[in-house]
Amino acid sequence: MRRGWSRGALGLVLALVLAGCVGGGEPEQVSTPRPGAETSGQLTVWGWDAAIKSLKVVDAGFRQAYPNITVKYVAKPPMDTYRNIQLALSAGSGAPDISVIEDSHLAQFVKLGGLADVTDLVKPYTDQVNAYRWKPATKDGRVYAMPWDSGPVAVFYRRDVFAKAGVDPASIRTWEDYYRAATVIKQKTGIPMWPQPRARNDARLLEMLLWQQGLGYVDAQGNVILDKDPRVQRTLEFMGRFWREDLSLDSEWWQDPWYKALGGGKVATIPEAVWMGTFFRDFIDPKGTGHWGVFKLPVWEPGGSQASNDGGSTLAIFEQSKQKDAAWAYVEYHLTRPESQLQIYEKTDIFPALETTYQDPFFQEPSEYFGGQKVRELFVDVVRNIPEAGVYTSEYQEMNALMASEVQSFALGKQTAQQALAKAAAAIRSRTSRA
Amino acid sequence: MARHAAEPAALPRARERGRRRAWIVAFRRYRAPYLFILPFFVLFAVFFLYPIGFSLSLSLHEWSGFGPARFVGLGNYRLLLRDELFWGSMLNATILFLIYVPAMTLLALVLASVLHSRYLRLQGLWRALIFLPNITSMVAAGYVFRLMLDTDSGLANRFLSFFGVSPIPWLDDIWWARISLGLLLVWAWLGWNTVIMLAGLQTIPPELLDAARVDGANAVQIFRRITVPLLRPQILFAVTLSIIGTYSLFTEPFVLTRGGPVQATTTPVYQVFTSTFEYAKVGYGAAMSYVYFAVIVVLTLFQFWALSRERPAGRGR
Repeated sequence: MRRGWSRGALGLVLALVLAGCVGGGEPEQVSTPRPGAETSGQLTVWGWDAAIKSLKVVDAGFRQAYPNITVKYVAKPPMDTYRNIQLALSAGSGAPDISVIEDSHLAQFVKLGGLADVTDLVKPYTDQVNAYRWKPATKDGRVYAMPWDSGPVAVFYRRDVFAKAGVDPASIRTWEDYYRAATVIKQKTGIPMWPQPRARNDARLLEMLLWQQGLGYVDAQGNVILDKDPRVQRTLEFMGRFWREDLSLDSEWWQDPWYKALGGGKVATIPEAVWMGTFFRDFIDPKGTGHWGVFKLPVWEPGGSQASNDGGSTLAIFEQSKQKDAAWAYVEYHLTRPESQLQIYEKTDIFPALETTYQDPFFQEPSEYFGGQKVRELFVDVVRNIPEAGVYTSEYQEMNALMASEVQSFALGKQTAQQALAKAAAAIRSRTSRA
Repeated sequence: MARHAAEPAALPRARERGRRRAWIVAFRRYRAPYLFILPFFVLFAVFFLYPIGFSLSLSLHEWSGFGPARFVGLGNYRLLLRDELFWGSMLNATILFLIYVPAMTLLALVLASVLHSRYLRLQGLWRALIFLPNITSMVAAGYVFRLMLDTDSGLANRFLSFFGVSPIPWLDDIWWARISLGLLLVWAWLGWNTVIMLAGLQTIPPELLDAARVDGANAVQIFRRITVPLLRPQILFAVTLSIIGTYSLFTEPFVLTRGGPVQATTTPVYQVFTSTFEYAKVGYGAAMSYVYFAVIVVLTLFQFWALSRERPAGRGR
């Protein structure tokens, strides 16, 4: 193990790099001036391939509107982008002007500081964006990012599998119905209902099911509710039935076997956000026109909510940027104009948070890939009803990791749902100093 | 004489001054060599000594990596004492160590003996092949292992199914995941350990082995009674590095298991990494590094002590 010492040393060196500026001052709260067509600058935008590909869709128009602004994109996977942001903030320089940041990580950066206060600039759009999106972008009444795409969740299902099992998706109204359908499908076709790994569970589905009920890790006051609200336990126990009765596909998400199972009709449904459709069409099941249909999330009780969220991203401007007016011109052009958002949605399927786009006839058109179903309309209906929930907190990553570990242990049959939630709640309380 | 009597303290002081002057003279004389080794010491100070000191100060602060830090004294360490995940990661590393290090060390010894044998042809080729995994990118290797060990579609289970073995949950069970990680580690580090043992073997005088053979000892007896005792220093060295290496494992579990399932393959350094770089708890991560460092030092010292108590006989050369 020759690298033993040098590895330890590397950690210390990284700590040094981070240590650059303990005791830096409070970031001043400046609002950038409104940009005009003469605004100039050379912007650097960080993001990942899919996001940058989408932003580029409207770049030609942007160049015409702002001929003096040039844009350079740097594409890295999300986690690398976040780590680089953290390092740049610590070092006090090196941050881009703008970065794509997912809602799941946004609150952490908002709490950390280093993002520019855009409260006054986003004010005209407050009512035009899905209301629930402002929460992770806001701290002490100030807003630090502009929402881009939202992640309304519904159930994607294989039409062929349902037909073979003789199950009518319209008959699934409650989660209890969904469970019954799962047993029928398993019995008739041998195909599991949803992909939910035991040992490598990432707790994201649990989060979606909780969000649907307006629940999360914490309540509006920031207190941990995992072991307090009985609905959380009910939800986890519901998932437990699928593991016990072997109704779930035991395969890790976003890995090759999982892609193959989805593409090859080896799993009947997957509850996931609208962007899952893009993945299906682009590479999981590109030849699968007509394979997939969509129905809204079943309810937990009659009249309950059918809307949940997974993911969603924003554009944030950095305090370090020397050209904030040009940066805002970019954000405003790409995210707040219905034309831009529609163009991006039509070309790359990134679902806009900007509600002024929803009236466009494009949303009422049938979607060819989904067998002519009016899928876009369905997701608009969902996104308008997504409740606020305490999932994407400033310690989301840590909460998710602690929760996932306990869910895994529960799924493997090593503890009860109640024990899992009690342990996760205790760990989260002690690690994040919450009540 | 009288002067000396009057100043009894002058003598040591003079000697001291003389010594210091000698030091200066030596420095002047070897100025060029000192200049040549200076870059190393400057880099060492900047990239090792300063961070070590700074981490200590960080460990006493609550800091997110940006903005003002809050002094919390021993607060981080107090939290750490009750942190089940951190101590769990220490336990994980210990279990992992027990799973793969004894097997790997023994295997390295046997392999080295075989490679050392004068009857073996193409020695250079075999040595190169055995060392090859060690210079392979761990990220690539880990990824390949991950695909091969997939429960449903991995090569390993498909191969075993020919012998009627039912699918093994290589990465989907707490203990199997630890064993899989151990397999990856043996694969990656066996060559390195073998080379250490081989170097040791080459220092053993052939007369000893010849004498034993003349006395009628067989290969196994020679291996147990002569080779292993004489290789003690090399074994000690290899195992010490393995201890340090196991507790500071990062890339291997990060690529193969992501620290799971149920955190069963999360190592201390993995914890330091997630705390510092994913949860933005830099102070807490620094405190972890220090506790972990202390544990490693104690373990290593204990091992040195335990193995150096009795020097092997007949190692006079």
